[in-house]
Amino acid sequence: MEKVVILRYAEIHLKGKNRGYFERVFSTNLERALKGLRHELRRTSGRYLVAAFDEEKSDEIMRRVSRVFGVHSYSAGLLVSNDIESIFEAAKLVAPESGSFKVQTHRGDKHYPLTSMEISAEIGGRLLGENPALRVDVHTPKHTVYIDIREGGKALVFGSFEDGLHGMPVSTAGKGLLLISGGIDSPVAGYMMAKRGLTVEALHFHSYPYTNEGAKEKVVSLAKILSEYTLVHRITAVSVTHIQEEIHKKCAAELNVTLLRRFMFRIAEKIAGREGAKCLVTGESLGQVASQTLEGLTSSNAVVSLPVLRPLIGFDKEDIIAVAKKIGTYEISVLPYEDCCTVFLPDFPAIRPSLSYIEEEEKKLDVDALVEEALSTREVIQL
Amino acid sequence: MIYFDNAATTRPDPEALARAGEFTTELYFNPSAKYGGGFSVSKKLEKMREALLGTVGGKDRYDLIFTSCGSESDNQAIFCGGKRGNVVTTQGEHAAVFSACTELKNRGVEPRFAPVKGDGSADIEALLSLVDDKTSLVSVIHVNNETGAVNDVAAIAKAVKKKNPRALFMSDGVQAYGKLNFTLPPEIDLYSVSAHKIGGLKGTGALFKRKGLALNPYIYGGGQEGGARSGTENTFGVAVFAYAAEKKFRTLKEDAIRLCTLRENLFSLLQGEIFTRISPKEGSPYILTVSAAGMRGEVLQRMLWDRGLCVGTGSACSSKNRFSRVMTACGYPQSILDGVLRLSFSPETTDGEIVRAADILNETTKEYIRNTF
Repeated sequence: MEKVVILRYAEIHLKGKNRGYFERVFSTNLERALKGLRHELRRTSGRYLVAAFDEEKSDEIMRRVSRVFGVHSYSAGLLVSNDIESIFEAAKLVAPESGSFKVQTHRGDKHYPLTSMEISAEIGGRLLGENPALRVDVHTPKHTVYIDIREGGKALVFGSFEDGLHGMPVSTAGKGLLLISGGIDSPVAGYMMAKRGLTVEALHFHSYPYTNEGAKEKVVSLAKILSEYTLVHRITAVSVTHIQEEIHKKCAAELNVTLLRRFMFRIAEKIAGREGAKCLVTGESLGQVASQTLEGLTSSNAVVSLPVLRPLIGFDKEDIIAVAKKIGTYEISVLPYEDCCTVFLPDFPAIRPSLSYIEEEEKKLDVDALVEEALSTREVIQL
Repeated sequence: MIYFDNAATTRPDPEALARAGEFTTELYFNPSAKYGGGFSVSKKLEKMREALLGTVGGKDRYDLIFTSCGSESDNQAIFCGGKRGNVVTTQGEHAAVFSACTELKNRGVEPRFAPVKGDGSADIEALLSLVDDKTSLVSVIHVNNETGAVNDVAAIAKAVKKKNPRALFMSDGVQAYGKLNFTLPPEIDLYSVSAHKIGGLKGTGALFKRKGLALNPYIYGGGQEGGARSGTENTFGVAVFAYAAEKKFRTLKEDAIRLCTLRENLFSLLQGEIFTRISPKEGSPYILTVSAAGMRGEVLQRMLWDRGLCVGTGSACSSKNRFSRVMTACGYPQSILDGVLRLSFSPETTDGEIVRAADILNETTKEYIRNTF
């Protein structure tokens, strides 16, 4: 008898001839997620088993696989030989101490001499005989003992299904660059694109000394949580201080944020090019703030040729918050550090600026030189 | 680096640290232990207590309770001294007093806050008008930690006692102790101090308590400090405190005179059109608070740090608690509140540092203006 964590995968089964590729990436991702923990990853048909781990680490293994995209569900269970005696020994360990229960059997190996119903009845009967505090209820049982007869003379016995994150294995959809701030939205946007298989690199803009070290630390903390899902353990930081100063001095105050965002997109595209990212990802949601109006988005899009993915575009704030809470970034996002100092915030930002007006104002700046200068401040932080 | 944030904390005095070292190597015994080692530590502890008592009060007139910090001393004085009726204090208090007094509301005691003047000193008339026969405690900070304004706590205490002899008078002396030439008058019942503002260590505070005054403990336990404050004595911290204070008090008067000159030199070297003075001339020689109007103190603080000058500030970039409560109470407009910088000195401060600091301050603010206006 061996303790294992059973993983079932999600959308991969939809893939036809590419299935092998998806499965290879999925198992690589599992290995990356389990890095540093003693374990053995086994692939069986339609399942992965994590085995040979230290028993006291089983919670940590469960926690880590719960964050891997592509996992449909997972269970802590026991791997045994498929003879009834062995299955019964395992079932005794999985069964509750008291209360109602049923046994549910899945027979992956159709050559097994007993049918699913017969196995369930046999094991259920024996459990009942062993422990008088148990009671069978096949309709609304409090507990279920699951038996899965596998190929190769093996069976899996477990007590519950935990829901996985679903989605696609990260890196099956290529690489993107996430613009991450200290707010609630951008980590959620990164999470959602990673869920569709994107490798999410992260880029943070700061304006030290107008923002403080705490703001950067906050982003690093967020990126660390995000990295448990994206499996990317670094973040790039770039200073836009001088750009903000120049915009503030030379351009219409109402366009401060609009112009800054155009710079951010330009810088992001350059960095994406260096890192092989084929798209930008932002946490923008239509109409959420002045810079996220259709005109605002158009103005940012106009300076880049890479596609800009905005997975939250149709989300309400409360929907975004719900995801942020689920993935564990919310608590950090709401800590009181400002990602943009109020020094540069106009009293009334332009809500629907025309592209021609924006471009006219931007002519007052040496755009290329400012972008190059900002790129020279680039630092890569390992998480 | 030029360190001008001594009101936040001072560099621990290396001599005091060295002298106190024996309490971490040989004399590590618990002073309550009844064997020889414990006894000798206890004897030394009492000697240090006496020495510290001698600095402002004398052991015949005051007891000294060692605590973990100035805030604890303030809390014990307020919660154990202000138990009924009302407690009168000022808008210019340190948070350790202000928040504790605010909390009194939840404990059935009414807190009353007297306004302050533009320099942060207490409006004495207004304060006295709040004192009545139900007042159980009056608390007035000795040196305002944000502006350096000095309250004549001896005179205020006298006036308070005249109006209500039963009211206790306490003062937070954290920024005054070891810096101002001062002896506790009989009207001051409680006086809180902290070691790390005069070369001692963080985690060491004390409360002077008038002899004969019965004050309940705030921390209960093994009955140390004559039952007034339980918890095994921080012998090393107390020793560093005592030795640092011994040294500090030896040169107290000269330091004050010299730093007063340095403070005035510094202000005269600052660009008049940029810096507005907030600290009064007759305030603590250790603090010069100015405001670079229209600028953000916190941003300046980081720019100055990058240029080798460490200063304090009265504002924050965050929208929550952007302005200092005390400075707001002083009645300044928003542009002044934003740009507050607190420059605070120690006996280690030199003439050369003053000149260089003024240069850095002038240059940095000019750069700030160039970049943002």
